[in-house]
Amino acid sequence: MFTPLSAQQWNYETAAHLLNRAGFGGTPGEIEAARGKGLDATVRDLVDVSDDFANVLPPAWARPRPIGKIVTQMRSKKRSPKERRERKRAFHDMEGENILDLRRWWLERMLTSPAPLVEKMTLFWHGHFATSVQKVRDGYWMWLQNDTLRRNALGNFATLTKKMSRDPAMMIYLDLEKSEKEHPNEHWARELMELFTIGIGNYTEQDIRESARAFTGYRVNLRTQQFRFSSFQHDASSKTFMSRTGPFDGDDIIDTLLEKPACAQFIGRKIWRYFVEDDPSPETVNAMASRLRAHNYEIRPVLREIFSSSEFYSPHVMRSQIKSPVQFLIQTAKLLEIPLPPVAIAQNAMRQMGQILFAPPSVKGWDGGKSWISTSTLLFRYNFANYLINGDAMLPASDPGKQKGMDLAFGRAAALTAETRRDPIDVSKLIPGDLREKPQELVAHLSDRLFQAKPAAKEAEAFVQYLEARNPDTGDKTMRGLLHLMMSTPEFQLT
Amino acid sequence: MLGAAASWTLPVFLEKTFFALDAMAANALTQTPTGKDDTILVVLQMAGGNDGLNMVVPYADDAYYRSRPTLGLPGDKILKLNSYVGLNGRLTGLKALFDEGHLSVVQGVGYPNPNRSHFRSTEIWQTASDADRNVSEGWLGRYFDNCCAGADPLVGVAIGEEMPQAFTAKTPTGVTFSRPEQFRWTSSEKAEDRMSAEEFFFRQLNGSADSEDALLAGTEGGSIGAISGEKKTDLSAVDFLQRTALDAQLSSDKVLAIARKYKSSVPYPQGRLAESLSLIARMIAGGLPTRVYYTSKGGFDTHARQIHAHERLLDELNDTLSAFANDLKQQGNFDRVLLITFSEFGRRVAENANGGTDHGAAAPMFVLGGAAKPGLFGKYPSLTDLDYGDLKFNTDFRSVYGTVLDHWLHAPSQIVLGRKFPGLPIV
Repeated sequence: MFTPLSAQQWNYETAAHLLNRAGFGGTPGEIEAARGKGLDATVRDLVDVSDDFANVLPPAWARPRPIGKIVTQMRSKKRSPKERRERKRAFHDMEGENILDLRRWWLERMLTSPAPLVEKMTLFWHGHFATSVQKVRDGYWMWLQNDTLRRNALGNFATLTKKMSRDPAMMIYLDLEKSEKEHPNEHWARELMELFTIGIGNYTEQDIRESARAFTGYRVNLRTQQFRFSSFQHDASSKTFMSRTGPFDGDDIIDTLLEKPACAQFIGRKIWRYFVEDDPSPETVNAMASRLRAHNYEIRPVLREIFSSSEFYSPHVMRSQIKSPVQFLIQTAKLLEIPLPPVAIAQNAMRQMGQILFAPPSVKGWDGGKSWISTSTLLFRYNFANYLINGDAMLPASDPGKQKGMDLAFGRAAALTAETRRDPIDVSKLIPGDLREKPQELVAHLSDRLFQAKPAAKEAEAFVQYLEARNPDTGDKTMRGLLHLMMSTPEFQLT
Repeated sequence: MLGAAASWTLPVFLEKTFFALDAMAANALTQTPTGKDDTILVVLQMAGGNDGLNMVVPYADDAYYRSRPTLGLPGDKILKLNSYVGLNGRLTGLKALFDEGHLSVVQGVGYPNPNRSHFRSTEIWQTASDADRNVSEGWLGRYFDNCCAGADPLVGVAIGEEMPQAFTAKTPTGVTFSRPEQFRWTSSEKAEDRMSAEEFFFRQLNGSADSEDALLAGTEGGSIGAISGEKKTDLSAVDFLQRTALDAQLSSDKVLAIARKYKSSVPYPQGRLAESLSLIARMIAGGLPTRVYYTSKGGFDTHARQIHAHERLLDELNDTLSAFANDLKQQGNFDRVLLITFSEFGRRVAENANGGTDHGAAAPMFVLGGAAKPGLFGKYPSLTDLDYGDLKFNTDFRSVYGTVLDHWLHAPSQIVLGRKFPGLPIV
């Protein structure tokens, strides 16, 4: 059980912490508004959102197509090899465009959704039920999975797991759609146990073999792009799974797994790591497991308890989480009150920082925490901040011999010039005119915005000294330099 | 060189940081071997699935010509290695290296239950996992984790836009960049020849206000080893970030200084691969502590009209590797550098209707270097006893990895690869 946070501890910093962790942060105005509303109302607004926020209009192209027929036609020997190649290329180019647009669409949603927790939790499930377009190779299927994750993001974990077993993208990714009665494919069954429910060490190879048989008959209809069940391919005979014997089907297997104490521990630990801290104590994991079981794997009430607990706001938790690349991008856009960069830039930036949506590195998803940060990714974050603040002036000059800084980081720079056009940010939105001449106050003001806390004395001193070194220049360039400097710090990587 | 900002005093906290780091470095009793004077591995990925059959050609086998009526290379386009196989005629430079005794060819390399998806098979090669297992960490990442804890982050350098999965480690180690100029912090302000105020304070905030010259002097004295000793994984998030920030500073300065100082005296051909390998040669000449370099060349997915496309790819490979070998010879470093090539799979034995080849399985690997044991290793797979039209492997690629780990990097392959694979006498 967790201890509720007392009303006295609700202030600007705790309010900022909640908005950062349960969503993607907020502007000083939004944080102030949350502080004014109080803890309970703020948690309620985040957690008890209407289902309408999960009912999102898809991108225009995200419609099922008779994909089986399209592919057959594309490969038809009736056409010349040249024509086949051209059609194939056009098809793949379109899929490439679609997935790029899907990334844009989701990032926009994260930035602008009135229900940020729904998006944050959708991202959690995307990393949990990790599926990559590199194998699925179809934008509609990736969107469909994302939609299912969103609709169930705060719902029931048992329901979501069963939906994932019938999700075409997942079924393709883990070869479930190819599993046959006579030759059950074990890939899905193995990952279901190892990565999705109970974790390694809690099952036997026999459990994998037997449960693989229970999931046979799951198919994807290539005309509608939807799940279908083929009783002809389903092995309805008796299986022995986790010491029980019966003619189990896939849902029976999932129900059995969720009864295991290891499952609530595994999921509880993962949710806690995502929202609170990297290394939860065994007591915390047990507490999370018992809350999940008490709520019958309903996610919403468990999140409400986390966000209302004093543990969530403890000093060693606040500002101790390394921002994921998604968090870095979305939160920065919120903090600077800027639109997202063009999608080509955003996608390349995500690649450089190590988190490409819809293309996790493996079925294990992203490790998170310290694994986000290497010397290369940290320098990239600093330089990406420069682009966000100073615009495309920071991109390479037209003379390739003189390319500097971020050039190849963004790839094909010359070809992207039109897409990467971006003006420097308007600093007057962030800095009241009268503060420009007052270094100490200016640094304090911007620290509230960028760190939602006072920086350590040494950092604050360096920021002030920078302003003094630039004195008497207090123009926009100096202000942008200060913003970039403040973001080029270890401190800014934390939330 | 600090310009106006130089008059700003070094804040006390910074001096403390340096003292603490010096003390830590001094405490690290074991000196990890570094690429400054020890052996170096270069991994070259041929992405897309290289047609091994037309690279190392079984010219004496009628089945080869039967399966490839248009793609089969005639005898006058073969550089014979023995009475059965020869190199593609474009690989004259590599043939010369073979004759000199500096190139080994491992034949029939692959793994059980081969996967024919680029994505999945690349993942298998990068992580050295079994085909039915998913592993997150890369094989080189596991080498960094297990054998280079506390080493300079420059222990691994990947030239490219994205870190290869082979580098994925529990403790992120290794740096990735396409060009040295990209692996640096850029100021908002473009100052030509002096450090801007912003950069000066950036360096303070990230723990290094030293000038580049001093750091270059440092590299000549050996590894700076900013993070010697303690394991970074045990640090709090903020300490971890601060140390990585300092590492980034030091590494970036070192890389830039070396890139500026060292130039190749050997001409390289045009192209990205040549840019990458000449950069690697300069890093080696400059004494970077790097033990593993990684780079990649794409375009090998030759489903259609393969003949000229593949020739162009092999020309580039041949000319670049020849230049690289010459460069290292001139530097006097050829004997301590070993380069291995790999591709996620070979191609189908039979050509397809478009004058190309489809995804296959087993293929050869090259091992190149002054210390490489010359010759042909493994067995050329049968061209008639096939697995769904593909060559059957006889040498697990992890035997090559294992040999390189055990006998070149002097790292325990059993720990890195999870089990012991039979070694090969390639080094």
